Amino acid sequence: MLTVNNINVFYGSVQALWDVSFEVKQGEIVTLVGSNGAGKTTSIKTISGLLSPQSGSITLNGERLDKAPAHKIVDMGIAQVPEGRRLWAGMSVRDTLELGTYLPRARADKAKNIEWVLSLFPRLKERLSQAADTMSGGEQQMLAISRALLSKPKLLMLDEPSLGLAPVIVENVFDVIRQINQQGMTILLVEQNVNHALNLSTRAYVLETGHVVKSGNSVDLMNDPQVKSAYLGL
Amino acid sequence: MCFQISILNSQFQILMSFDTFLNLFAASILTAGLYATMSYGLALIYGVMKLTNLSHAGVLMLAAYGTYWLNTLGISPYLAPFIVVPLWFGIGIVWQHTLVKRIMLMPPIASLLFFFGIWLIMQNFAYLVFKSDIRSITNEATLLTYKLGPLVLSQNRLIVFFAGITALVSLQLFLTRTYQGRAIRALAADAEAARLSGIDTDRISALAFGLGIALAAFAGCLMALIFAFDPEFGRSHLLKSFCIVVLGGLESFVGVALGAIMLALAENFSIQFMPAALQDMVSFVLLVIVLLTIPNGLMSLLKGKK
Ligand SMILES: Nc1ncnc2c1ncn2[C@@H]1O[C@H](COP(=O)(O)OP(=O)(O)OP(=O)(O)O)[C@@H](O)[C@H]1O
Ligand SMILES: [Mg+2]
Repeated sequence: MLTVNNINVFYGSVQALWDVSFEVKQGEIVTLVGSNGAGKTTSIKTISGLLSPQSGSITLNGERLDKAPAHKIVDMGIAQVPEGRRLWAGMSVRDTLELGTYLPRARADKAKNIEWVLSLFPRLKERLSQAADTMSGGEQQMLAISRALLSKPKLLMLDEPSLGLAPVIVENVFDVIRQINQQGMTILLVEQNVNHALNLSTRAYVLETGHVVKSGNSVDLMNDPQVKSAYLGL
Repeated sequence: MCFQISILNSQFQILMSFDTFLNLFAASILTAGLYATMSYGLALIYGVMKLTNLSHAGVLMLAAYGTYWLNTLGISPYLAPFIVVPLWFGIGIVWQHTLVKRIMLMPPIASLLFFFGIWLIMQNFAYLVFKSDIRSITNEATLLTYKLGPLVLSQNRLIVFFAGITALVSLQLFLTRTYQGRAIRALAADAEAARLSGIDTDRISALAFGLGIALAAFAGCLMALIFAFDPEFGRSHLLKSFCIVVLGGLESFVGVALGAIMLALAENFSIQFMPAALQDMVSFVLLVIVLLTIPNGLMSLLKGKK
């Protein structure tokens, strides 16, 4: 479904990704793991069109998207839940959800879709008039995921959805990710919580200083001695 | 009237009749309506694009001339906004797509100089076309007043007030109730998150810029009904607009309204104690005081955080 092929990405003159390649197939949950500064966020931002690769290509179902502007890429079917949630300060939960359906193709069955995301995160239902940035971290993450889902993506990318959340809330968020995947959503997940992420995903890629150094089935990686010592603290 | 309010000055006791007080208060509210309209365009453009549009003053001035010029062609100054405002909206959009888009990527000093330059060009254009004579629009309605008990209200000022409020309320409804309007707010709050929701930020920036310019043009049309103007017109109003947005805290609608009321009250009441020629200084003094004492504006006091 999504193919990232040998991309090189720079911040100014500093290279952040080196010949990075990976793919996500229809219906999979794929995880990108790696320590701080490995290039996970950079990879996701490049797919979203917030950064553009200097060389290499990115395709979604065969269609090139590495030259398209970010809003077009959302329209093509890739949504991102950004690191740090990035909700619009001062905007109510209701307005945030409404704006989630901004794309013309998402407006069509807006009411039904908003009802659907509220059934995934019932806690948001009681907070519709509250300003998004005054909610708890967990609620904000739920809203950020809802906003992304409302653009009706084929592929949902989540950048560290568990960051700064209490363990129960993390469970809750991961349950929802599993649930929407079972309903057919393809998922690309970035996580520091490697144990959790490998448990949830089908396959994984390990990034180190901008290079893909390992890849494979999540189960196999969980038993890989190097992965164990570097990321699982075993 | 026997009822009097006394205000203690350091040396004198200044007495102001209740009638005078009421009239000054009413005048302040009417002025505040115009001031809010005039400054909201500046606040909108700053909020969405983080650009300080110094050419705001030039738009006020040229829109006033536009109304004047249409009047000489026989078009009522009350209808002029329907021609002048859409025109400026269009100019704003073209501007954004051609020049401003590039300026946004540069350091703030570049955009300040850019807009200052545009303002100078507008002034020179006005000198060239309209000459330096002071113009004003007068017709039978100019001096019309209504008496409401002790209140004496000028018809044109009432029209200006209600027209301004109508524009601001419509804009507010647009910003809170429509996709495009909400997209403008999203862009102001977090542009990258807006792009990730499928919002074409170039298009929405242009819309916001066009609206900001259109609102300035509308304020200019309204000003032509009650002020005399020449090509320098707009300078003191630019400063007043700054004062209001700083008072109100940037990017907040209620804040701008509050700031406008504060400035209008300060101006109208101060002329009781000092020469009218110094009235334009009030906004400057207020601006400095606010910047030194409550840099985040009145809204920060209301929210209890400073
Ligand atoms: N805006 C930027 N300008 C310059 N360099 C950047 C920028 N953003 C990231 N980098 C650099 O690019 C590299 C990869 O960063 P990236 O944010 O992709 O890492 P990450 O894997 O997401 O890390 P984390 O787990 O901390 O979020 C790092 O060396 C980082 O310093
Ligand atoms: Mg990151």
